[in-house]
Amino acid sequence: MSRGAIQVLAAFGFLALAGALAAWLRLGLERAIVIAGVRAGVQLAVVGALIALVFDVPALSFAFVATMVLAAAVTSGGRLRVLPGARRRAAIAIAAPSVLATGLLLAVGAFAATPRAAVPTAGILIGGAMAATTLAGRRLLEGLHDDAGEIETRLALGDDVRTAVWPVVRRAVTTGLVPLIDQTRSVGLVALPGTFVGLVLGGASPATAARTQLVVLLALLAVELLAALIVCQLIVRAARAPGERLHDVPAIS
Amino acid sequence: MEVERADAAAEIVARDLWLARGEGRAVLRGASVDVPRGQVTALLAPSGAGKSTLLRCLNRLLEPDRGTVLLDGVDIRELDPCALRRRVGLVAQEPAMLPGDVAANVGYALDALPAERLEAALAAAGLDASFTTRRADALSGGERARVAIARAIARDPELLLLDEPTAALDGDAADVVAATLVRLARDGLGICLATHDLALAERISDRSVRLQTKEASR
Repeated sequence: MSRGAIQVLAAFGFLALAGALAAWLRLGLERAIVIAGVRAGVQLAVVGALIALVFDVPALSFAFVATMVLAAAVTSGGRLRVLPGARRRAAIAIAAPSVLATGLLLAVGAFAATPRAAVPTAGILIGGAMAATTLAGRRLLEGLHDDAGEIETRLALGDDVRTAVWPVVRRAVTTGLVPLIDQTRSVGLVALPGTFVGLVLGGASPATAARTQLVVLLALLAVELLAALIVCQLIVRAARAPGERLHDVPAIS
Repeated sequence: MEVERADAAAEIVARDLWLARGEGRAVLRGASVDVPRGQVTALLAPSGAGKSTLLRCLNRLLEPDRGTVLLDGVDIRELDPCALRRRVGLVAQEPAMLPGDVAANVGYALDALPAERLEAALAAAGLDASFTTRRADALSGGERARVAIARAIARDPELLLLDEPTAALDGDAADVVAATLVRLARDGLGICLATHDLALAERISDRSVRLQTKEASR
């Protein structure tokens, strides 16, 4: 039996184990576990086939990255849906820093300008930007609603909108960045990150894997910070009314 | 729209303000009020009649759908909003405390607030100097209300809008604040006191205005 077949069998063996354990303990999770596992298998198979196609036809890289941005914007925008034009704003916050950073890494030669390097790099950065956009955006929308009294007090004392909402924006950006900062601080101590593990399993030397992981992690820091700042800026702009006022922001569910 | 000109004594003249908020519910229906300099004007209306909304229209925290607010005869939409709000202070019914201690709250956004001015503002609101280092978020409701009044007074506004300022205060504290408002008005400040407390209004106000509304036409 080939190594590939054994890997797939091992993966679904663990899925069966988790499903059986959940059923035996009557956790009510067996259906969700099995559906999630099968769905992941199908999605990864499709993505694997698509990326193989992209490797053969490099021009498709752009379409693939655009699709990733679109999917990320739909996901993040759905979490921010009390905001008018949430998906469009999420798309800007996600795409601008992640695509720019990918371009920079390729331009300076950190990674080869090939689909094999560009697509996974863009994918990691888009994923990170999506997480930061969702976390910071939701925290800011919550803050604009929950802390409306504090913001109105600052406005009433003569602040402009930008100054009045800055403490809420700062808390939101912090919320968006905390998971990645923690991950960066603990890298290699608490867990080996995905890029490192993938490269080592794929046959790269540990030194190459560590170097690549470092580039990805530090690029993510900048990308996620920019994504959080951009989404906050776009939300404040949407909430701002003429005359240094804010529109009412509804509670998010 | 015809708008009455402000007379020499009238600092704020609001005319025929209409405002619908949340699902088109009309909160203000043709409300009008004058807030002259050097007087306490009581704005009387039952709870929910739009007093808080009207006060926020006077310093442009809310923008009416129709109607005009003049400050010294100038439409407030022609003024810089931040400068307007420094001239027309607002003390909300449940004022929010900003992070930090009482001194940080009273001196917020002021370049420098000398200790004597800080203590004078606190005293005017019925608080002694020991409050300066108290954490603002640990204060009682009545103390918060008085810090908010001190915070508004400390920036020397020309007009002061107060929304039920004594609602959270006990009798003695309410008396101190009431006396302060009367004294500030005698010193030339224009005060608009939104309240449903008729006794307080009768005791300290120079004039009373019932929130004027017209029959809803929409």
